[in-house]
Amino acid sequence: MEVDTESNIQRKQSIYQSMDESFEIQKEMYRGQQYSQIYFARLHLMRTLLYSLVPNWKPHLPVCTVLGLEEGKECIIVGTLYKHMKLKPSILDEYSKEKSAGPLVKPHNFIHPDDHLVLEDESGRVKLRGNVLLPSVYVTGLVVALHGKETGAGDFWVEDILEAGLPNQIALPLKSGEDKYVVFVSGLSVGNSGSNPLQFQLLVDHVTGHLGDETEQSIAAQIVQVVIAGNSVEIPLGLLNGQNLASKDQSKLSEPIKELDILLTQIAAGVPLDIMPGPNDPANFSLPQQPLHRCLFPGSSAYNTFRSCPNPHSFELDNVRFLGTSGQNIDDLEKYSEAKDKLEFMERTLRWRHISPTAPNTLGCYPFTDRDPFFIESCPHVYFIGNQDKYATRLIKGSEGQVVRLICIPRFGETGIAVVLNMGNLECHALSFGTEFSS
Amino acid sequence: MNDGNNNKKKRSQPSSDHRQQPPQQQPQKQRAAMEEEDMDEDVFLDETLYEEESQVLRDMEEQQALASRLFKWKRPALSQPYQSQSQSIVFQQLEIDYVIGESHKELLPNSSGPAAIIRIFGVTSEGHSVCCHVHGFEPYFYISCPPGMGPDDISHFHQILEGRMREANRNNRVPKIVRRIEMVQRRSIMYYQQQDSQPFLRIVVALPTMITSCRGILDRGIQIDGLGTKSFMTYESNVLFALRFMIDCNIVGGNWIEVPVGKYRKSAKNLSYCQLEFDCLYSDLISHAPEGEFSKMAPFRILSFDIECAGRKGHFPEPTHDPVIQVANLITLQGQDQPFVRNVMTLNSCSPIVGVDVMSFDTEREVLLAWRDFIREVDPDIIIGYNICKFDLPYLIQRAEVLGIPEFPMLGRIRNSRVRVKDTTFSSRQYGTRESKEVTVEGRVQFDLLQVMQRDYKLSSYSLNSVSAHFLNEQKEDVHHSIISDLQNGNPETRRRLAVYCLKDAYLPQRLLDKLMFIYNYVEMARVTGVPISFLLSRGQSIKVLSQLLRKARQKNLVIPNVKQAGSESGTYEGATVLEARAGFYEKPIATLDFASLYPSIMMAYNLCYCTLVTPEDVRKLNLPPECVNKTPSGETFVKPNLQKGILPEILEELLTARKRAKADLKEAKDPLVKAVLDGRQLALKISANSVYGFTGATVGQLPCLEISSSVTSYGRQMIEHTKKLVEEKFMTLGGYEHNAEVIYGDTDSVMVQFGVSAVEEAMNLGREAAEYISGTFTKPIKLEFEKVYYPYLLISKKRYAGLLWTNPDKFDKMDTKGIETVRRDNCLLVKNLVNECLHKILIERDIPGAVQYVKNTISDLLMNRMDLSLLVITKGLTKTGDDYEVKAAHVELAERMRKRDAATAPNVGDRVPYVIIKAAKGAKAYEKSEDPIYVLENSIPIDPQYYLENQISKPLLRIFEPILKNASKELLQGSHTRSISISTPSNSGIMKFAKKQLSCIGCKALISNSDRTLCSHCKGREAELYCKTVANVSDLEKLFGRLWTQCQECQGSLHQDVLCTSRDCPIFYRRKKAQKDMAEAKVQLDRWNF
Repeated sequence: MEVDTESNIQRKQSIYQSMDESFEIQKEMYRGQQYSQIYFARLHLMRTLLYSLVPNWKPHLPVCTVLGLEEGKECIIVGTLYKHMKLKPSILDEYSKEKSAGPLVKPHNFIHPDDHLVLEDESGRVKLRGNVLLPSVYVTGLVVALHGKETGAGDFWVEDILEAGLPNQIALPLKSGEDKYVVFVSGLSVGNSGSNPLQFQLLVDHVTGHLGDETEQSIAAQIVQVVIAGNSVEIPLGLLNGQNLASKDQSKLSEPIKELDILLTQIAAGVPLDIMPGPNDPANFSLPQQPLHRCLFPGSSAYNTFRSCPNPHSFELDNVRFLGTSGQNIDDLEKYSEAKDKLEFMERTLRWRHISPTAPNTLGCYPFTDRDPFFIESCPHVYFIGNQDKYATRLIKGSEGQVVRLICIPRFGETGIAVVLNMGNLECHALSFGTEFSS
Repeated sequence: MNDGNNNKKKRSQPSSDHRQQPPQQQPQKQRAAMEEEDMDEDVFLDETLYEEESQVLRDMEEQQALASRLFKWKRPALSQPYQSQSQSIVFQQLEIDYVIGESHKELLPNSSGPAAIIRIFGVTSEGHSVCCHVHGFEPYFYISCPPGMGPDDISHFHQILEGRMREANRNNRVPKIVRRIEMVQRRSIMYYQQQDSQPFLRIVVALPTMITSCRGILDRGIQIDGLGTKSFMTYESNVLFALRFMIDCNIVGGNWIEVPVGKYRKSAKNLSYCQLEFDCLYSDLISHAPEGEFSKMAPFRILSFDIECAGRKGHFPEPTHDPVIQVANLITLQGQDQPFVRNVMTLNSCSPIVGVDVMSFDTEREVLLAWRDFIREVDPDIIIGYNICKFDLPYLIQRAEVLGIPEFPMLGRIRNSRVRVKDTTFSSRQYGTRESKEVTVEGRVQFDLLQVMQRDYKLSSYSLNSVSAHFLNEQKEDVHHSIISDLQNGNPETRRRLAVYCLKDAYLPQRLLDKLMFIYNYVEMARVTGVPISFLLSRGQSIKVLSQLLRKARQKNLVIPNVKQAGSESGTYEGATVLEARAGFYEKPIATLDFASLYPSIMMAYNLCYCTLVTPEDVRKLNLPPECVNKTPSGETFVKPNLQKGILPEILEELLTARKRAKADLKEAKDPLVKAVLDGRQLALKISANSVYGFTGATVGQLPCLEISSSVTSYGRQMIEHTKKLVEEKFMTLGGYEHNAEVIYGDTDSVMVQFGVSAVEEAMNLGREAAEYISGTFTKPIKLEFEKVYYPYLLISKKRYAGLLWTNPDKFDKMDTKGIETVRRDNCLLVKNLVNECLHKILIERDIPGAVQYVKNTISDLLMNRMDLSLLVITKGLTKTGDDYEVKAAHVELAERMRKRDAATAPNVGDRVPYVIIKAAKGAKAYEKSEDPIYVLENSIPIDPQYYLENQISKPLLRIFEPILKNASKELLQGSHTRSISISTPSNSGIMKFAKKQLSCIGCKALISNSDRTLCSHCKGREAELYCKTVANVSDLEKLFGRLWTQCQECQGSLHQDVLCTSRDCPIFYRRKKAQKDMAEAKVQLDRWNF
């Protein structure tokens, strides 16, 4: 049998370029700065942008600041939205409230009919009214332009809203007719008692081409990149309370990480691999989460195909631009606003041109002083979020020909589903791994 | 009428100030009354007034902006019927006072000379302001008529008295001081008397202040031909003139008054700024009882304001040095939920604020005058604020004095009359002694929310911040006064920042007022007790009872003697009884039997009153049949109602019936405003009923009568004992009950019974049965009620207990505690949290081992230095400087030390000083171990856990646990959990200056060379584990950091500006600071891993 050379399938390759520079905070320090600066930076950045759009939107209207409002005069104001929310949990309550006797019923989000929006710029705030601006859609921290006028009561009656809209997109490379696949997976939760180690092994074997016949292997060979979008391990947090650990607990802690490392090593040996931290991973909490430390992966980090990346994460493969998070930004939006599905939240963030407007208000974030890294400068072709309940995808198109593939990556540990994207045509499908066979 | 820029005129015509002065002082002199000589300069007044007004008109034309403001500020214009005086004037009065003026020639053609004129200020239902001058009411008092005095003797007596009064009031130009002396039939309220009435002399004098001097003369004795020198006991000679007027005209505080059409005359010259100003006779007034449509409230205007001063570094602002830089004002119409005027007056430019009228001025003088003009134009009926009486108002007035603006303090409703400031001490048994400043703003009621809070609520702190946190559930941003100057000296933006802060402070009192329904409650209290609203805040309880007593006595033809205020030490009597508390943790339901309004009921049941008390002498002389008298357990004798019905019982009956009615109406009422009125009323009625007893026992009061008060308490004691006896006798196994009942505790008016049953419902049934059975044995209306069951119940000692309170058998209502350290302000938060959590675990979760474990963990955390610093902060007010304190106190010493460190941020007198106790050299005194929490945080100074263990948490803990655990002290405070301790190394101590810093292994703290960076070779293998630990720590801190700092942004109401707040009362203030510091350290630690 001459299997040696001819049938030896070559894995395809792509040119990878990291775009993560703005998400790194290695050199940043906590020097007593507060959150006002990131809001200021955001407002400045987005206001410049919005001002440039106003002449095409409503050229006849004057542009005002919150201070310059005059009663009854129609104008456009630009500022940061702030949403007053009755049900929003407050840290003060935890410290000062008397303990209530019964357990609290947790609502799925903090929306209340009494919520209302205000618009703020450096100089002041004004309460917003009107039927066009729905408080349930918008969130604190977002910068928008509003058309309207001040009422007698000192409120601003909103007639129309202008969001920043989808940014420009670099041209998608011409179709080469060649299929190249990127595999997305999230929520591996290695170490979780409920997760099935065999599922993950099947995924690894599939990606690395150890599974199936030649057709399947040849498809596997077209996988050029694997992206793990957060929550790869689950470690018992109770152990990390600052006390020295007994040796038994030490192993409890390091066992899942070791197991993950072994599996990642198998992938990295064959395919380039990006791993992003998620809310449960041994990483910092606030966005941008910094790359998982290499010392956690003594095996896989030896390969140059292994890349530990921040969250959010942005990169280019053969000039196709990817942007994604481990899901926190969208999960937080879901708590403080409403939409029909997760994809709609995702689409909104793109149109708002901001990955995570609720940071720092309700989502932890580093207090940047002179920039806002969550501002989306250039439109990605693929926008993904990890750790969702179920797989969902949609293709959206912008007014200037932008095309974006939105992907919700489900938690693999619970669903056994990974997501495969064809870079050639931005088509996308789920890859399901089951270990129970029905006869 | 007026302009916002009066000063312009003043500056261009400096002489006008001088010219205006004599007439300005005019009314003031008039009011000073007694030793005034010249009063005939009213003509002056007119001319200046006219001139001022024409001047004003010109300025108004110049300033369009002002005109539009005035339009917004003005009260609604008078309708035609008002203008033509063809309509009766009906108004709700808020303030009643009097002035001395020339008696009205048309209304009182027969009199002349100075007379007291009553002024009633109020508001009509359309919102017009009213100033009503009431003429013809004369001050008077009574003396008992010596026997055998005929009409001739009286006129002779009149002459002598007039002569003596002339001597005492030499400079008075009153034609006749003692106007009349009439003989009337009255009876003294004191002691039971068999005859109906006796002759009394009613002495009418010209001016109210003359009553006092006349009383003095009569007290000392007066020479009467044929009788020799005789001194007289005076009656009702201590009644304030305004109150006398109200009583005689049946006017109660805050009620509606009608002046029928044709009975009033528009005043010839307007002395006030009120829209409707008129004169009338007191006999023409119609006073409406506050019922039906007259129970409503007029739309009065409430001004809420706050000022900011630019203090110098290190000093609390003083009017002699520090300028007033901003004044924020809000005007709200009573009954509406939003203010209709919001403005702020600032010194120097200030950026606009949405929805707020920002008025900027170049000089402080202009700011002050603009405020005065604003007050005059907008004409508020009630002025509220926080600490305005002690700080804001006196500050403004003193500041104007320093700046030489004599025309500033004319804030009242009377033209050209100035506000007066005087120091007063207000002392009352119930409220304690408080020093304050009394600022009289004529015609406007001042309502200082701070005073109200201190009166009505027991709180751990009365700062506006903690009060609003308590009642409104929100934290207030607190800008330290050293920052205020920086903001002021910045640019229009920073001043805007300050203005926003100032506005918030002005709005909070209004919101507190609304939330706590103070207007309703206080107006109702004034209506129930019959005193003017202003008395409620400036005077104690006794005036309220006196007012009711006088009204009732007047109906009955009784007069009240003016008893000399006797020494106070004679006035002690045995107080209420407290049954021995059988301390313990009761896990069976405890039923509580309460006496409903015990003391009032006793007074009614036994007819206890001044006029039913029989003197020991009379007991012997009168030989009253025993069935007609009650002999009280304290040995006094009172007659029964068939001989003489008591006045106090009658007042009480009326109060309690009225309360029942108000409560019934409250149930029916739908309109929230009506509900508010009724609820305020029933509360006022309850408080009033309960204060009657106190009035008789107040030894420095108006009419103390210890025979009554000691009888009341003696009956009370007897009743508690009686109840105990009956319960324990009846509810026995012998009597067919399942268990023997046991009274475990009894307080003033309640008895706690353990019936022995284990179901709440059974205990409730037995409780009801017992209440009914025992009530039957009491004289009506004394009644024992069953209201609640405690289960479980932790009885610590007398007046200290905790338990779950049940009023229905299915679900408990709440946890009820009394006398347990949860609110005391001397304690740190740790104590409060610990006690609350333990009680929660013990009572609700019924988990005693869990509570013990919780205590142990907390103590261990404390010793291991894992305790959040803010929980350890103790706060005390700095009331005087260090030298004035006799004993060295921790917070005073600290304030001194901080002053040496940095005078600018050190606490000043009046501030509250937060501190923690730190570890110090052995034998250091407690007061030397106090330290500023911020300083402790910044320098990682170790706290002294032992101090907290021994002096803060041990006592309250042992109190709770002693009834539960056998050897609580040993178990809780000395167990194995107390053995490991950890102390942080201070970064600024002496020894650290010589220490060389070297990296140590993150894993095992072994020293490592700089090339290794993180771990020693031994720990290399545990890299992943140790990294996880470090990063988990960072992650936790980031979470906290984010939540804390965004919360502060939320409170300050701005995302784009840095948080400035330094409110140390805020529960997260230290945490925020600590999170910032810890975060920086943790990040550095984490970065060590990035090699």
